[in-house]
Amino acid sequence: MSIVQVVVPRVLAALGLMLLNGVVLIYMLRKVLGHLHLRLGPMENGWHGIAQTTFDVLKLLTKEDPTPKAVDKALYFIAPAIVFVPSLMAYAALPFSNSVRIVNLELGLLFTFAVLSLVPLGILAAGWSSNNKWSLLGGMRAVGSQISYEVPMLLAALPVVMMAGSMNLGDIVRAQQPLWFIYNVPAFILFFVAGLIESGQTPFDLAEADSELVSGFATEYASMKFGLLFLSEFSNTFIFAALTVTLFLGGWGIPFVPEAIMQPIAPLVFMIKTYLVIYLLMVIRGTLPRVRVDQLLTLGWKFLLPVSIAWVMITGLVIKLGQTVFGGAQ
Amino acid sequence: MTRIFGTGILRSLLLSFRQQRRGTITVQYPRERLVLPERARWAVEIKPHEGVEHTCTGCRACEKACPDYIIRLDITINEDRSKVIDLWHYELGACMMCGLCVEACPFDAIRMGHNYELAVTDPADLCVDLLVESPAHEPKRKVAAATPPPGPVEHGVPVPSTVDSAATESSATPEGSDDV
Amino acid sequence: MSDPREIGRPSGSLAAPDGILPAGTYEPEVLPAGLTRAPVGVNALATEHLIVNMGPQHPSTHGVLRVLIELDGEEVKAGEASVGYLHRGIEKLAESRRYSAVGTLMDRGDYISGIHNEMAFALAAEKLIDVEAPRRANWLRSLMAEINRIASHLVWYGPMGLDTGAMGPFLYAMRDREVLLDILEDVTGQRMMFNYVRPGGVLADITPAAEKKIRVFLETFDQYLDEHIEILAGNEIFQARMRGIGVIDRERAVGFALTGANLRASGLSFDVRKDRPYAAYSELDFSIPVAQEGDCFARFMVRMEEMRQSVRMIRQCIDGLPEGEFTAKVPKVLRPPAGEAYGAVESPRGELGVHLISDGSDTPYRMRYRPPALYALQVGESLLPGVLLADAVVILGSTDIVLGEIDR
Repeated sequence: MSIVQVVVPRVLAALGLMLLNGVVLIYMLRKVLGHLHLRLGPMENGWHGIAQTTFDVLKLLTKEDPTPKAVDKALYFIAPAIVFVPSLMAYAALPFSNSVRIVNLELGLLFTFAVLSLVPLGILAAGWSSNNKWSLLGGMRAVGSQISYEVPMLLAALPVVMMAGSMNLGDIVRAQQPLWFIYNVPAFILFFVAGLIESGQTPFDLAEADSELVSGFATEYASMKFGLLFLSEFSNTFIFAALTVTLFLGGWGIPFVPEAIMQPIAPLVFMIKTYLVIYLLMVIRGTLPRVRVDQLLTLGWKFLLPVSIAWVMITGLVIKLGQTVFGGAQ
Repeated sequence: MTRIFGTGILRSLLLSFRQQRRGTITVQYPRERLVLPERARWAVEIKPHEGVEHTCTGCRACEKACPDYIIRLDITINEDRSKVIDLWHYELGACMMCGLCVEACPFDAIRMGHNYELAVTDPADLCVDLLVESPAHEPKRKVAAATPPPGPVEHGVPVPSTVDSAATESSATPEGSDDV
Repeated sequence: MSDPREIGRPSGSLAAPDGILPAGTYEPEVLPAGLTRAPVGVNALATEHLIVNMGPQHPSTHGVLRVLIELDGEEVKAGEASVGYLHRGIEKLAESRRYSAVGTLMDRGDYISGIHNEMAFALAAEKLIDVEAPRRANWLRSLMAEINRIASHLVWYGPMGLDTGAMGPFLYAMRDREVLLDILEDVTGQRMMFNYVRPGGVLADITPAAEKKIRVFLETFDQYLDEHIEILAGNEIFQARMRGIGVIDRERAVGFALTGANLRASGLSFDVRKDRPYAAYSELDFSIPVAQEGDCFARFMVRMEEMRQSVRMIRQCIDGLPEGEFTAKVPKVLRPPAGEAYGAVESPRGELGVHLISDGSDTPYRMRYRPPALYALQVGESLLPGVLLADAVVILGSTDIVLGEIDR
């Protein structure tokens, strides 16, 4: 019985955080894009449109859910779940403070990356089972890009692991007091670019390129299935931003603030930092054009992969030199 | 121009961010409205003149100038050669607001109004009689369209003409149908 | 020279005379001509080309255009454009409209640059009735035409960004276009279907309010134009999407009767405003941007430069507007003597011509509308084989087509 008492609240907490994020992020996206584009975004429902997402979710819940005739029924029904569940699982290892997290995993970083790599499979399933050529193109593009970028993303995160000495996300955050790991700028850039691709953000959102593929892999989905796909896309954005904050921007810590004051407000600080990174992602989304598929794969295989391998070696070399020159373990 | 690869992207992000200094352009329509310039052309209205109800004499210049035969005047000529305008029919739903009728009127009787909130719920409301009221939401008298919609055509049977042989001078068949 | 229609004709399936499938048949077992299906077996890989329909409703076809694309993975093997969804019979309707009303028809051809359409017709009609517009009318025509040119180029620039995926530039372009549409509404009365340029002159004079708005626009637009260029053209991703894509060489351009910015980006400097001047262009001081590469990026930069030249011309027009009448005396109902005339203007898409034949009555006998975007679409279609799907969208967008003009 005690396993259930441990597991169920945590799953519910993760689910609650995911839904809360979805609601806030959708509203934030529409408002940020609106103001970036010299217009206002939602203004009608609630004060300045705050209740807009609630009504949108209600609308999605009450919509008709048609199933096109010639779809591959089993895959069509299960594909949104394949996309949604890994996004939910990826919340498990995120550190919100010293004590607040879903579960304290020693291999937190590896677990998050491993779980996120299931998402392209779901996208491919959605695209293939829709029996629609445009969806198929979207699914194939997603597989081609997102799967091929998992290796560079992990390699780009390795310098951080080397600098922190552990894969436990909580340890990585603690190792960033007081100097954040962003001083390792090439690792940051490599991780940021690879992560943009992994989470399907512009300038790399090929899987649902609006101007070419209408709605990409999600064209044939309606109502709550579409809602799940949509929600998991925003969830991936949050996970990517949270990982960036954890690995490079100091997690829940502010430099030179003593622990006693820090711990109670740590989750708040973490969320604020994550949302600032998400704001940057939204500005990028509203401005930059999209790269073409072959340019994307060229970027990944011919540039990101060798450079990230080289940078891992260089970082290791510098750390070892630092240890021998200044002595002692870091 | 030698530039580090990537600076262009950063510059365009900064520019995009700076565009926000121009302020939002949205006009929140039902609550805020833009002021139309004087020459704006919307639905045709009878122009008010001091002392008289209108200055239309039934010369039919507007009817001939309209490219789409939207205006139809039904005029009765009395024995003493005075005219009575029975119906100043204007098909608002088909009007493209080109302004040729206003240009053609020699008596300055009509003008292009500024009323653009012309949506109605009943298509019959889109045919109005301008002399009874200007195009508005609740016309007091509903009128039929200028030419009745054609019924089912039997092959070989021509569509019956709508001109009746009374003493009313009405132009039910559109002019200008030249054979080329 | 070989038949220009052969230059880009693919040798694949879509070149069949009646399109993809013979009319009136659809049998799933029968393959359309030219498609091959590899044998399916235990150890054989079955692949076939996908035929995708970038349908009349699509976020990226500029109007109701249908493009049938045969795809091999992501690569386009052949493409065929299917037009006619916006055909309204403008040329036929003109045969039963009076000359004053044909202007309202011409507005609706290339609906984004209405002034140029009306001007082409007005020039042809003026040749028929042998009337010249007064000097002030010509300057007003040039002023409105250049304002419309900038507005039209902004409408091309916004969706160009959208085709490549950038959402921001579209709205910034529309923001600038609002200023221009306000000016046009002040002077002509409408934001889109102006009915302003008539045979003999223009409808009405410029108002002081409009003049003030034009001066405010002139002060600020140069800087905004620089920002527009910087946001897209300075972006490495955009350059990678546009450089080297859709190269139109001179032979192909001339063979397809291209005009306008598409031609000038391929190295040929031909502009109706300089070579066969009309309105006030012989008195205005401007230059024609020409590029040599002929790819999408060259067309982009040529059009951005054209906007800058248009600003220059607007400044000259506003400062130097001569006194006089804004229209010559023409009868209300024109009855030109029998004859024919051709009037051509430089619309934002190329040389827009109207060939009028009159038989002495008050309606034209025949009006032929030469649409520059039709030839641009044909060139775009001939460039499709061999590019990736994302490039097909970019190529069609960079040629600045408007379906209203193509379908008439």
